[in-house]
Amino acid sequence: MYQQIAMYTTVFFVFLLALAFASVYGESKRSGEYSTIQEKGYKIRKFYFLGLIAIMAFATVMTLGRLPYDSNQAEAEGLNEGIVVKVTGIQYAWEMSEETFKAGDKVQFDVTASDVTHGFGLYNENMELVAQTQAMPGYTNTVYYTFKEPGTYQILCLEYCSAGHHVMVKEIVVEPEGGASDE
Amino acid sequence: MNEAIHPLARKTVVWHLAVTSLVLILMMIFGVIMLMNQGEMISITPQWFYKIMTAHGTGMVGIAALGGTAILWYFLSKYVKLNPAILIVNFVLFLTGVSMVLIAIFVFDFSDGWTFLYPLPAQSAKMYGAAGAVFFLSGMLILGIGFLLLYMYLAARLTAVYGGLGKALGWDIIFRGKKGYGPPAAVVATAMVIITNSTALLAGATVLAASLVNIINPAITIDPLLAKHFTYAFGHIFANCTIYMAVIAVYEVLSEYTKRPWKANKVFLIAWNCSTLFTLMIYTHHLLMDFAVPKWLLIIGQVFSYANGLPVMVVTAYGALMIVYRSRMKWDFASSLFFLSMFGWVAGAIPAIIDATIVVNHVMHNTKWVPGHFHTYMGMGVVAMIIGFMYYFNKTEGNQEHRGIDTFTIALYFVFFMGLVGSFLYAGGISAPRRWSEHLPQWVLSDQVGAVSGIFIVLAAIIFTARFFSGLRCVGSQVPYQKKSAAG
Repeated sequence: MYQQIAMYTTVFFVFLLALAFASVYGESKRSGEYSTIQEKGYKIRKFYFLGLIAIMAFATVMTLGRLPYDSNQAEAEGLNEGIVVKVTGIQYAWEMSEETFKAGDKVQFDVTASDVTHGFGLYNENMELVAQTQAMPGYTNTVYYTFKEPGTYQILCLEYCSAGHHVMVKEIVVEPEGGASDE
Repeated sequence: MNEAIHPLARKTVVWHLAVTSLVLILMMIFGVIMLMNQGEMISITPQWFYKIMTAHGTGMVGIAALGGTAILWYFLSKYVKLNPAILIVNFVLFLTGVSMVLIAIFVFDFSDGWTFLYPLPAQSAKMYGAAGAVFFLSGMLILGIGFLLLYMYLAARLTAVYGGLGKALGWDIIFRGKKGYGPPAAVVATAMVIITNSTALLAGATVLAASLVNIINPAITIDPLLAKHFTYAFGHIFANCTIYMAVIAVYEVLSEYTKRPWKANKVFLIAWNCSTLFTLMIYTHHLLMDFAVPKWLLIIGQVFSYANGLPVMVVTAYGALMIVYRSRMKWDFASSLFFLSMFGWVAGAIPAIIDATIVVNHVMHNTKWVPGHFHTYMGMGVVAMIIGFMYYFNKTEGNQEHRGIDTFTIALYFVFFMGLVGSFLYAGGISAPRRWSEHLPQWVLSDQVGAVSGIFIVLAAIIFTARFFSGLRCVGSQVPYQKKSAAG
């Protein structure tokens, strides 16, 4: 969802920006008194500034309540009652205390690394990135995810960790609720 | 206060620009090779891919800094008498550092990325030998020392002429109610870059030294999270400062072309002071996925990354639009590129700000969305400013004139750069990871679009560079020396 929002928002604002630049380019062939242009420009700028502040404030209010590392939110959703999985990144593999899950499982991934920094990137069956955190030696980062759909998920390394970075992939299977798939 | 640039400094600026333009082409070719490999158009080994990736990242940030320094020195010389020896020392140390980095990568197979994230270099040293990591980290250290010496000298000069960095940033006007305008934009921007980039370089030197010590004696370690703070306090600020140096040319040249003043009024000075503060604060948006970092620090990363967009969007880019509006400005190579560079800067800031939103970063961090936004403001922003300055330099110091091929090349460069960054952003939108030598089939098409766009960008860069070198022949040929007006 956030990927689509990011793409459409970028296209929308870059389009507006291009319009502004194209319009000024068109007007550059005419002449005008600069002091008058400045006077009007500064008036418009006040509204432009307030508009940007309003957009940024709206985005802040809408997003800061949904932080992925917010344990309060996880508790509210009952995620802390889920399965705890220890994950360790090592060049170039993921070691996990559990590798098979069921749809509906609420999982708490406790992620660390034993050599260098890696990136724990959880991809769903459509290869869409659904959650991530860094895997750093000496630290445990906890990321929560509820497997709503069954299927084959993959963990990709998302922090460059040397020449085998792109082979650091692990498949995890999420079975349908109530039993394994017939397939 | 309208000093002429020292003849030796002018020559050194030419050297800066010559190296910048040639290395730019080479690094662009490296970028195309990586995209072609990801797009399955060619096949290179992962080892070579990551070596090229390390060279591309280091080289691009390095030449952006080199080109930005040339711009800063050239225009600051109008207002402050500068000793060219310092610029030469910076150039020599830069070349020394770059040579060591190249030896590390292509002789000793160093491939840990330009961000050399601790403890990766030490780990690689165990596997491939210490020489690569030691050459790379020492080379970066020397390069950084060169810039630090430059900023210390510039700080001393601004203090001597303006009474301190605070006054150069207009604190008299902002805080003490002094009437009138602040120092010229070139001085204000230089003061900002001195403060932020010196901090960045000290952070970088700390983590570089710690990494070197750790390789020599593995018993001496540094906390990896602290090292990451230092790494991004260095990398983020250093890369950002390339823009803040290069934008000096936009202020100076658009003002000259439009024959309108671009003075540092109170709003302008507040904006630059905010940029100074925010640039120092917001590197934490690189650590949003390090959940061990205190939450308040990460929220600062989001909120102040938003805020850091305001000075450029509301003051600098808006100011550029206002100064060009109904100005009957002559459109040529330099004015076109400086105008478009402001578009590139803001267009890149938009997806960057979106990525600084924690919930978005959670599903887009380290995907190709990230190179998508920084290629926009580096390629269509900083590099456009540097190329624009090359033409401006040849025009005002020599007799280069705008030709039809220049219009064609600018269009070629910007159209295909939109294609390149569009392919990156789209790939990020479908979750393609960055820094992967091989891609899954569903990501390959975007890589191919990027590679083809990159080939045309390289073509445009070759034409730009050929035009720059051909224009250099007439630079300094007028006796006695007289700088021409660019406005025409």
